[in-house]
Amino acid sequence: MGKYVLKSLLQIIPVLFIVSLIVFILVRVTGDPVALMLPETATAEDRAVLTQALGLDQPLYTQYVKFLGSAIQGDFGQSFRYNQPALELVLERLPASFELAVAAMFFAVLMAVPLGVISAVKRNTFTDLIISGISVIGKAMPNFWMGIMLILLFSVMLGVLPVSGRGGLSHLILPAFTLGVGLAAQMTRLIRSSMLEILNQDYIRTARSKGLGRMVVIVKHAFRNGLIPVVTIMSLQFTSLIGGTLITETVFSWPGLGQLLVVAVNTHDMAIVQAAVFVIAVIVVVTNILTDVAYRLLDPRIKYD
Amino acid sequence: MKKRQWTGLWITLLAIVMVLSACGGKTTSTNDNAVTEGTGSGSASTTLTIAAATDIESFDPHNNNNTSSEAVLVNVFDYLIKNDSEQKKVAGLATSWDQVDDTTWRFKLREGVTFHNGDPFTSADVKYTLERVAKDETLKQNSYFKNIVEVKAVDDYTVDIITDGPDPLLLNRLSKMGAGILPAKYIADKGFDAFLKQPVGTGPYKFSKWTKDDRVELVKNENYFDGEPKWNEVVFRVIPEASTRVSELLAGGVDVASSIPSTDIARIEGEADKKIVKAPIQRVLQLIFRQTEGSITADPKVREAIDLAIDKQGIVDSIAGGAGIVTRTSVTPGNFGADPSLYKTSLYDQAKAKQLLQEAGYAEGEAEMTISVSAQYKEQAEVVAAMLEQAGFKINLDVLEASAFSERYSSKSFKEIFMIGIGNSLFDASNNYNRYMLEEAKGESDYNNPEVEKLLQSALVNMDPAAREKEYQQVQQIFSEERPAVYLYQMEGVYGTNAKVNFAPRSDEMFYADEITPVAQ
Repeated sequence: MGKYVLKSLLQIIPVLFIVSLIVFILVRVTGDPVALMLPETATAEDRAVLTQALGLDQPLYTQYVKFLGSAIQGDFGQSFRYNQPALELVLERLPASFELAVAAMFFAVLMAVPLGVISAVKRNTFTDLIISGISVIGKAMPNFWMGIMLILLFSVMLGVLPVSGRGGLSHLILPAFTLGVGLAAQMTRLIRSSMLEILNQDYIRTARSKGLGRMVVIVKHAFRNGLIPVVTIMSLQFTSLIGGTLITETVFSWPGLGQLLVVAVNTHDMAIVQAAVFVIAVIVVVTNILTDVAYRLLDPRIKYD
Repeated sequence: MKKRQWTGLWITLLAIVMVLSACGGKTTSTNDNAVTEGTGSGSASTTLTIAAATDIESFDPHNNNNTSSEAVLVNVFDYLIKNDSEQKKVAGLATSWDQVDDTTWRFKLREGVTFHNGDPFTSADVKYTLERVAKDETLKQNSYFKNIVEVKAVDDYTVDIITDGPDPLLLNRLSKMGAGILPAKYIADKGFDAFLKQPVGTGPYKFSKWTKDDRVELVKNENYFDGEPKWNEVVFRVIPEASTRVSELLAGGVDVASSIPSTDIARIEGEADKKIVKAPIQRVLQLIFRQTEGSITADPKVREAIDLAIDKQGIVDSIAGGAGIVTRTSVTPGNFGADPSLYKTSLYDQAKAKQLLQEAGYAEGEAEMTISVSAQYKEQAEVVAAMLEQAGFKINLDVLEASAFSERYSSKSFKEIFMIGIGNSLFDASNNYNRYMLEEAKGESDYNNPEVEKLLQSALVNMDPAAREKEYQQVQQIFSEERPAVYLYQMEGVYGTNAKVNFAPRSDEMFYADEITPVAQ
């Protein structure tokens, strides 16, 4: 196990190296930050001065070597827009995104566990059909559309929840719910099939035939085993929540990593894009390793060599 | 094995609960703030909340280049000279100013003004501020100020500003963002980074808190030299998504919301306690032509045909929701050098356009050209293209993402036509016309008219305002004939407001909090 973790940690290095290279090149071939920084009336001379000051006149490989050298020391350069270290800006935003991701996960579990279990227990009944229908709709509904609809209903018409921004717990409800629904839909289906499989196992039948009550068997015997794959999926989904909340954060003006990234791309703030993608890559890689470890702890039959 | 599984589950659940309770703890404290400070409608007379689509870049007025930053910063930093709501120059931190000679202006400074940290405002601050922005080439406002050679502190309350040549625009420069006066001593003592975290100015509102991409919070400066400010607190919220901004206004979370999409105007007007207010802004949407030899748009007949083929009022009504004013000049009223005879008017004659195109020697569909446009004006460009095709042109529409457009713009690599909305932060015709001077026009429009060149060169250094104004008006008359560009319309800023506040939008798009007042109840 220790060997596996060590090996995985070493594998992070080439992965991050490749990520940094791809982002570096993409960011540089897609536009000119100098043009966006200067006023419309700036002269060619002004542009040349700024280009030089930012080091953008040097060949690409020189820029990359320089970038890599400082990146290793945790310096991803200054944000053009904010004139502040990019990594600092990205790390400032992580708590907001993390908060939203955890809350979304919370909503997803809250919805998916009961729905999934009920749906499995009452399989092929009308209830099962309704739940499956809901989860298909939940999965298919675009985030931004649902966000806007929820704002209209709960904030504008009913006036019970704030529209946007980050503040109290009440600010968290709508964006977290919006993000959680898609996830819940996926988890409901996963829990359903996982429970179904277990409910057909011999030991469940044995437990039933011993005269144990239906609820006891479902809760004590089937449910705990049925949750194992769900836990795995949860951790994997969590990383995509951290990195992939762009649309939801924009709709709700949630000042997280996603919104920072959107603005950075629009204003061509290269340092932020690089730092943000890098941080997201680190989170994804590390979470994947942790998931593997957790999975192995949960099910010793799985081996990593 | 069972036991191990449960351990894993419990650890995961515990982690979730811990993180959630951590967020919970934090949110409770912010909730308390919200109650005491009152962001809701109950205490509208003490807190003003304004929503904009973009955040400020920083609290460094010298290293900022967007209007939405300045709109916030004018409440914290003062200029020597201010523009009133009609763009007339009025006293700010300077009480009077005189021209000593062609290159020197003398300013008398207001006495008894203090920065938010208590430091007195003196000529040393003016010297530090203006020399910083004039000399540091990496600052985004530098290009507006680099002609200032020196600022001499004559005494504590008198400064001489010396330029490298006659500069008829100096007063305009001193009343815009890059001239926001910074506290020299505070910055010398604490360093610039500390200043950015806890900025200090002389303005009516003091910095309180900035959560990036969420909100800027300002509080009243009790010691403001121009009387006590009207609001206890002013909050600028950042809400990039337009429909969310509208919802926030409808739900009462903000008092003023800017950049209302034309599709939402009716919805806001339909609410009893909400209003829509509009004002022309400093931005004229226009088509700029390449007149390089061999280019189809080098032919004046073709350019005239393009002008006549476009129904400008139609575009204003259909795409901009009525929020636009047609014009035949880009120097609109409120800017120095405007020619009112070309304003609020436009030409449109499809039949004549077709005829002109034939006279120029093009049969239907032969006059092929590319119009490049940034994605933000995509709809307007589509309508323009459709109108031109109706008149017999063949149009390739080249819609570019904003940063790609900027790059092509600065590298001057557009084809026959590019469509752009050009603003004017100096409120002076030179800002509109410098691009048509021989050197600047090279490679972009390749416009070349010796008469215009002479007028523009002279106006650039002419210190006699009346003669200078004539020069620019002459240029406009020539342009209305020659059409190096076709103007579509001057844009209007569309704002939604709570009926509880009086807000008259300014043409410079600034939000001077004290110009927004609560409606007497």
